[in-house]
Formats: sequence, structure tokens, C-alpha cells
Amino acid sequence: MKWLKIILFLLPLLLAFSDLEAQQRFPKPEFHTKYTQPTPTTPEPRGVGMEFVDVLVLLVVLSLTSWFAIKKRSRNGILLLTIFSAIYFGFYRNGCICSVGSIQNVALAFADPKYVISLYALLFFLLPLIFCLFFGRVFCGAACPLGAIQDLLIYKPITIPAWLRKTLGFIPYLYLGLAVLYAATGTEFIICRYDPFIGIYRMNGPHLMIYLGIAFLLMGLFIARPYCRFFCPYGAILNVFSRFSRRHLSVFPTKCIQCKLCTTACPFEAIDFPDEEKSKPDTKSNTRRFILYMALIPVLMLAGAWIGSKSHVFLSKAHPDVYLAELLISHPELKTDSKNIDIQTFLASGKSLETLVEEAQIIRDKFYTGSWILGAFLGLVIGLMAMNQVIFRRREDYQANKGNCYGCARCLDYCPVE
Amino acid sequence: MNRKLIISILIVLAAVIVVLIVTDVMNSRPDKRPDNPYEYTVDQFTSVDTALVKYTETIDFTFGDLDLRGIAFANNRLYLVEDNYLVVVSPEGEKLAKLDLPESPRCVTASSNGIYIGFRNYIGQYDLDGRLVKNWEPLNDTTVLTSLAVTDSLLFAADAGNRRVLRYKTNGTLSGSFTGKRDSADLHGFIIPSPYFDLVVNSDGELWVVNPGKHAFENYTFDGQLRGFWENAAMTIDGFSGCCNPAQMAVLPDGSFVTAEKGMVRIKIHKASGEVLAVVAPPEKFKGETYAPDLAVSPSGDIYTLDYERKMIRVFQLKK
Amino acid sequence: MNRKTFINNSGRLILLGGLVYLTGSIFFKRKVSASGKYVWQIDPFKCMQCGRCATQCVRDISAVKCVHAYQLCGYCDLCGGYFKPNTHKLNTGAESQLCPTGALKRKFVEEPFFEYKIDEKLCNACGKCVKGCGSFGNGSLQLQIRHNLCQNCNECSIARMCPSNAISRVPIEAAYQIKGDFKNPAVTNPK
Repeated sequence: MKWLKIILFLLPLLLAFSDLEAQQRFPKPEFHTKYTQPTPTTPEPRGVGMEFVDVLVLLVVLSLTSWFAIKKRSRNGILLLTIFSAIYFGFYRNGCICSVGSIQNVALAFADPKYVISLYALLFFLLPLIFCLFFGRVFCGAACPLGAIQDLLIYKPITIPAWLRKTLGFIPYLYLGLAVLYAATGTEFIICRYDPFIGIYRMNGPHLMIYLGIAFLLMGLFIARPYCRFFCPYGAILNVFSRFSRRHLSVFPTKCIQCKLCTTACPFEAIDFPDEEKSKPDTKSNTRRFILYMALIPVLMLAGAWIGSKSHVFLSKAHPDVYLAELLISHPELKTDSKNIDIQTFLASGKSLETLVEEAQIIRDKFYTGSWILGAFLGLVIGLMAMNQVIFRRREDYQANKGNCYGCARCLDYCPVE
Repeated sequence: MNRKLIISILIVLAAVIVVLIVTDVMNSRPDKRPDNPYEYTVDQFTSVDTALVKYTETIDFTFGDLDLRGIAFANNRLYLVEDNYLVVVSPEGEKLAKLDLPESPRCVTASSNGIYIGFRNYIGQYDLDGRLVKNWEPLNDTTVLTSLAVTDSLLFAADAGNRRVLRYKTNGTLSGSFTGKRDSADLHGFIIPSPYFDLVVNSDGELWVVNPGKHAFENYTFDGQLRGFWENAAMTIDGFSGCCNPAQMAVLPDGSFVTAEKGMVRIKIHKASGEVLAVVAPPEKFKGETYAPDLAVSPSGDIYTLDYERKMIRVFQLKK
Repeated sequence: MNRKTFINNSGRLILLGGLVYLTGSIFFKRKVSASGKYVWQIDPFKCMQCGRCATQCVRDISAVKCVHAYQLCGYCDLCGGYFKPNTHKLNTGAESQLCPTGALKRKFVEEPFFEYKIDEKLCNACGKCVKGCGSFGNGSLQLQIRHNLCQNCNECSIARMCPSNAISRVPIEAAYQIKGDFKNPAVTNPK
């Protein structure tokens, strides 16, 4: 990148000579001895242009995983790809930028006209989603570095009762909603902040990151993929997308012989059991319940929107400007606190409290819009999750649940069907 | 491992995760953030013994939003240069005249013969009504004029860029310059790290030049021979702080110097022999500011200071 | 089964349409940078030397280092950024130095000028020298993010805590903002 060096060198010179004002530089002392003034160094960042190699690698890994999961049906292939992703996307690229975090970049780009999103982030967001629509959650299976490290450290996975799984399954949607809200209002990237595994991959990091990482990994010994199942916001999106995928990993190649061996293989309880009775259950009451729940959805959405709009003040406090404005209004005596760096910097900046309050009000208004949308979204999610319980799906075989199955292919080796 | 144990471990871990996240959210609020462990403070030097403060601030006048550049007191008038104007003001603050200037002025001085305005690299000579008499010969590109002082027949200009003092005849001819070397073997004379270089001619006809890098007051003959000097580099009240102070100075009718420092802004009075006599304005008067105010002194001993950051003239008078 | 495949296909189509809409609106209504990186950098004129560059970076030793804009330096004997305030002994003893790690090195050039150079391996980005130089000197020392050390996180942890919002994402062509082009009128036109 020689041209980069030349530009970085020439730019200050160009700036210096382009402006008459700049010619009035205050002259240095004249040195009589042979002294040459050093110039400040400008070391280049690593891997300029390498991001597109990463996109290419992601594409290749996603394609290979799809092929191994669906066509070749090889657990070993997927295992190798998982290890590769942990090494390449995890230890080598340090897990940043990842597809999970790219949600925030996209949300901010959508909401803020001034934000410039890099094509690389956008591709990291889109590619796994597109593959998901055609092949299922192959990203989770072998490409995601966060999933890879959890997957490799499964030791003695326990089974979680269905009601608990379903309840905890709400958390990713909540996390997704909050992440999008906070990213779109320009407050913070909370996914990045509470990413447990980046500290492990960098082998370096602040205390919070390391402790979170260790806690999740320890959990991961006994609950398979805790972050993926109960936290990951991108997983929430992939879950929905995967239900409409064109093809998906299938446990059996031709037909199911009801041996149940696959259910012992899957540590994630992602295999659906067929219905016990041959006869259909009471369709009338089920249909009634279905219609009831469907009618309930708009009610839930409205309730959610109402709760969301009521809580927008509380949520907006996460934004430092809003918090500072509130603090200075409610505790004006803090203006004289010389120890508080943030308050002192604000007072020294020359900005008046009125301007800060105006800016905070604009942000709070954004939160108002975002919060009721968030509330409505969560209401919809609860409604749909409830509806899902009553939809009768005739299942005759043991098959991977399209939404929850990551395509890790552990079950394939257990299925005795050729 | 039995199931109960595993479940209890998992519950503990889940609780740990929740606690970690919540405490992190709480601790990053702007009023809970930790203090700076690497704080640089000079608070011990900013407080001044009130017994030393012998002046009070009496009047202030503001002039809107223009960038004030220099101030001089002569002929019972205050001459201000700002942006592209020369403004003549009465000592009580009444604006008497406002005249256009061709470019940004840097410094000004006046006598009963006329007004002299220093631009970046040349001096403009104006009559007392503000009409241009003539622009003197421009100097080289590295010239940065920072101060002027005039006697009946001579005008001295401080050129910070070339580290020299120029001597002009009041008709505009350049008659000499000197670089202030204390010893002919010295490599450098005036040490000027930043564009602050001030000089005065006192009522006894002595030329005093500040050597900012050495924190020194140097007394020169009109052709540049060093008669004597005193210097005091210190953060305490008796000396001059930082790298290049005092940035501005003026002389009182009795020969003592009023000095203004930049960085830790304070205005003091020093005897002509060096000891500090009194404090005019301690650092609290200039809280949040870092530029040294320009100074001008009236014949009755009132000190007019040009506060750049607040864009006003602040007058200090001796306490009764 | 036809109903199932119909729902499947239409669902997929809707979701694909959603992605296309999202991508399209970002491409056409917002700025997408195809030419590579954006990096984090500190604006030296906004920096308040709060010390958080040293403590908040995700790396153990911060990716921020003090950089010397030699063009602005006065080469003073009594350097505001090197010596503790009111030091009388102008020597290189540790008790007179501001720098807690001894990263700022003082070298004699000629009487009375000294060159001050930073040893980046020792600098911890505490900003003491920057504050000293800025208040009592020319302000030639400044904190800058060094891109060979910076991880280029999606959200800079220091930027999140910076009290004056001095850290922002800049295109890689403007990766370093070092004082010295004298565009700041405070240097050329101090009054």
C-alpha cells in the first residue's frame, strides 16, 4: 500500500501549503549544529484490504458447511470447519467484526443518515442470512466463532425442560430489540460490549469481558451452546429465517425408522418428536385457541407498545448525554464537583445546559419512537410464541427442528438408515 | 456429577452473569466513573495569599463578538485592535471611533505623535485620527511581530519569528536590530518557543525586553547592548511559570512591571529589580482560560487587561 | 403438503424481499464505504487528557500512545511536559519527571535546546505530559491511536468513555491527526 504512505506523507504538506494562514507557521528555533528534526511516525493499520479476504473465507465456509450438512452428510467435515472458524475468525481475526455485531452497524446505518457503514460489515450481515434462507442455520453450525468455541467445549450436556427452554427462548428477541434500539439511537453497541468470547479469543481484555467469557464457557460445559440458544440476537433472526429455508439438514437420508438414536446425539434438544397418538387431537378446541391467540396478537402488540412508550425515559438514560442532562438538572450542585471529569469537561466545553437539554430531548424523542416499536415487536414475539404452542403439526418422524437446529451434523452419524 | 450439583452450578453461573452485566451498566454512568489516576494538577500553585492581592477589578467593557488582539493606552485614550479594525475608546469605555484596517493586526502602540499598528510582518503608521500615514517596509516571511514600543524618535518592534528586536526611526526607516545574545559566544539570544515576546520603554527611557524562554527581564541600550537582567523561573508566586512567561507585560509610572503569564494565568507586579510586589489578579480571576491577557497602563496606574477568551476589557485598580 | 410448501416459499420470498429492501435503502439512501476501513482516531484539539485512554482500551497496554508533533515544539530547557511543576533540578532524574513510566526521553541538542522523544514501548497513554505541555508549553505532545496496535473494534471502548467525544471514526486516509499544519489559529495568531 505504497500509495497510502505517499498520501499520508503528502497530506500534511498539502494542507500546510494550501492555506495562506498555514504559511504563517511559528518558526522553529534555528539550530546551528547539524540537527535534523525527526518526523512523527504514522504506522499503518494491519491488513488493509484483508477484510474482503475475510468475506471470501466466510463465503467458502458457509458453502462448504451447507454441502457437508446437506449433501455429504459428514459430521467430520463440519467439525473440521468448526475448528477452522474458531482459529481463523476467532483467534486470528480476534472475533471482530462478527455477524452478530453487524446487526448494530446495519441498524445504525438505517437510522442515522450520517453513519457510513462499510461494505464488509453489510456483507457479514447479509451472507449468513441468505444462506439461511436456502440451507438453514449453517452459519451457526460451523462459521460463527462464538458458536464454534461453545460447540467445541460441550462436555456433559443436560436436558432442559421444554417450558424452561421456551421461556428462556424469549431472551434473544429481547436482546435483539434492545441492541437494535441502542444501536439505532447511537447510544452504544451493547452486543459488542457484552460479547463474552472476544476476550478469550484475544487472550487479553478488561475484567468484565474475561469473567463473562469464563462464566459462559463454564456454563457451556453443561448446557450446550448457552449463548447461542438463550442470548444470541442474530440467532433470533436466523431462527425465524431458517423456518422458511428451502433445504435443511435432515436427520435421516430417506426415511425414519423411529429408533430414537438421533435424540441422544443432539445436545441442543433440537430434534422434534413425532406425535404420540395416531389420532388427531381435539381440532375444534385447538382451532378455537388458534383463532383466539391470533386475535390476541394485536392486543399484545398494543400492550407492548404502551409499555414500551412508558419505559422510554428509563431506556434513554443509557445514553450519556441524556443522563448528564438529567443529572445536571436534578443535582445542580454537582457543577462545582471538581472531581467529576465528565461534568467538568462539559462545563469547560462552553456548551450551555440549554443546548445539552435540547440535544437530550431529541435523543429521548428517538427513544420514544424506538421504544414503542420495540414494545410492539416483543408483543408480537410473545403472541407468535404462544400461537406456536397450539399449531398442530403432524409429525410422523423424528426430524430436526428447522428453527433450532444448527446443522452441526452430530445426529447424522447416529442415524442407522443408509 | 449428579444432576442437582450441575444445576446449582449453572444457577450460580447465570446469577454471576446477570450481576456482572448489571454492575457494568451501573458503573458506566457519567457520575459513577472512576477518577483519573494520572491527574496532572497545579492546584497548589493556583491559590494565592489574599494579603498579596492589592488590586480589585472595577470596570469591565465588552465589544460584542469581535476577536480582540491588542491594547495600548496613550493620550488619555485606549487604542484597541481587533479583527480588522482599530477602535479608539475613552478610559470609561465609551467607543469614540472605529476604523478599518487592511488585514489582521497583531499589536498596537501609540504616542502623542501617532498610532503604530503591527501586522504580521510590517508596521502601519497612522495619525491620531486613524488615517494611514504610511505602511513601513515589510519584513521577511518568518517575521511575527508581537509587540511595539515607541519613544519620541524611535520605535522598537519585537519580532518573535526571527527572535530579534528591531529598531526603527519614527519616520519608518529601519535603523538596526539585535538578537539579545548575552555573550558573543552564545549560540542563541532570545529564546522564544511560542509567539509571545514583549518589550517596553519606561519613563526613564530604558528599553526592557522579556526573554520568555529564560523567564528573564533584560535591560538593553538602544543599540542592543545588555545593561542588566534578572530572571526567575518558578511556579510559585515569585517567579514565572511554564516554558515561556511572562507572555505580556507593561510598565507602571513608577518603573515597576505588570506581568501577565499564560498557562496558569495570573497578573502580578514586579519591582524593576525583580522581586514580586503584589498580585493584581490571581488565577481564579481567569478560571478556565490559558491565554495571557494583553496589558496597558494608564498614567494614574490603572491596569487595563484585554481578556481574549471572554472578549472584554477588564480594569484593575489599586484597592483603597 | 402443497400448503406447506406454499407457506415456505412465500415466507422465504417475503424475507428475501425484506433483505433486499434493507440493503437497497442502505445502499441508496446512506453511505456505504466499499474502499475499506474506517479507523478510530483522537482529535487532539478536543482531548482533555482525562486519563481514560490508559485505562479503558481493551488491550492491556493501551493502543493509544503519546506522539510528538516536533514542528510545534519549542525545544525548551524547562519542558512543561517533561518536568513536574516547579522542579528546580532540571535533570533526567525520575523524581523530577512527570511521566510515570519514563517514556519521554530528553536529549541535549545545543544550548539551550533539548529534544524530547517518546519511547512508545514504555508509554501508557496517561496524558500527563500532554496536559503539562498543553498548559505550560506549546502543546506539541498529543495522544494518538496507533493503528498497528489498535484492534479497530466495532465500538471503541475508549470512545465510549471519552468525556469530550474526541474519538471518532475516520476514513483510513485521515488515519492520523497530528498537529503541525498550523491550521489552528491559536498557534499562528495567539491573541
